[in-house]
Amino acid sequence: MTATAIESERPPLPTLAGIPRWLAYSLFTIVCWGAWGAVSKVASDGVDANTNQVFFTVGLLPLIIFAWRSQRAPGGPKRRSGIAWAFLTGILGGTGNMAFFHALGMGGKASVVVPATALYPLVTVVLAVAFLHERLGTVQKIGLVVALVAIYLLSMV
Amino acid sequence: MIPAWILFAVIALVFWGITGITQKLATNGISSQLSFIWFAYSMIAISAVLMVIAPMHWHVRPLIFWLAVGGGTLNGLGALTCFVAMESGGKAAIVTALISLYPLLTVAFAVTVLHEHLTAGQGVGIVLAIVAAILLSMEPAAPPKLKS
Repeated sequence: MTATAIESERPPLPTLAGIPRWLAYSLFTIVCWGAWGAVSKVASDGVDANTNQVFFTVGLLPLIIFAWRSQRAPGGPKRRSGIAWAFLTGILGGTGNMAFFHALGMGGKASVVVPATALYPLVTVVLAVAFLHERLGTVQKIGLVVALVAIYLLSMV
Repeated sequence: MIPAWILFAVIALVFWGITGITQKLATNGISSQLSFIWFAYSMIAISAVLMVIAPMHWHVRPLIFWLAVGGGTLNGLGALTCFVAMESGGKAAIVTALISLYPLLTVAFAVTVLHEHLTAGQGVGIVLAIVAAILLSMEPAAPPKLKS
């Protein structure tokens, strides 16, 4: 069987509004997170970081119900550790949120703080190499260098 | 002297960077939806602790309140739709790299609506930051398999 024949037998990807579903949801994610950065700046200028974090959590509540209704497999033998890691992710993410709100509330521009903090994969990649022994590709090595230059430039005031 | 906001931005970057690892370890054992639920539970725990140990300022303008609440919804919704994108046939490397473009939207809003001004250096930094985020999100190619 040729590669072309295999390609033609592959079921088509689901679509949404005429574009691949994965692309539609990716674009929706960009809109959500991009808007989050913008509204966070306005909110951080009007409320302190701690209270902002509490309000942020209130906004998550309806999504818990949605996620609860849409979840599928309850998990396998790694369920307990999975839950523990997910809980830790929230603690770390929430702490990061408060620092983010502080940065915006202390005069950091949204146009600078959001791109700077979006470089967080820099830390993930370094940790993945150090602790998970993952291999670093050439593209990622270039990304590390570019990220460091970007952070330097963004910190210039 | 380095402004304080830079220090807090770096703290956010480091903490969110660590979540890239813990999130991966979480979804190795449970579904992305259950992972999100426990992520949200820990946010509730943080908020409960904050309400006990830190002074809260409840009397804010309704606009600020709803923007802060809406921020939480937008952030969480983005996380859920990111999971759906990957589960709908999108390759993780492509989806993650594409989503790395989200600061562009924030920058556009900040410059046009909030009238933020950027130096030339910061403008270049924004472009490089987005390029770097995309490059960092790309998975290294798997080594070629040896023919037996």
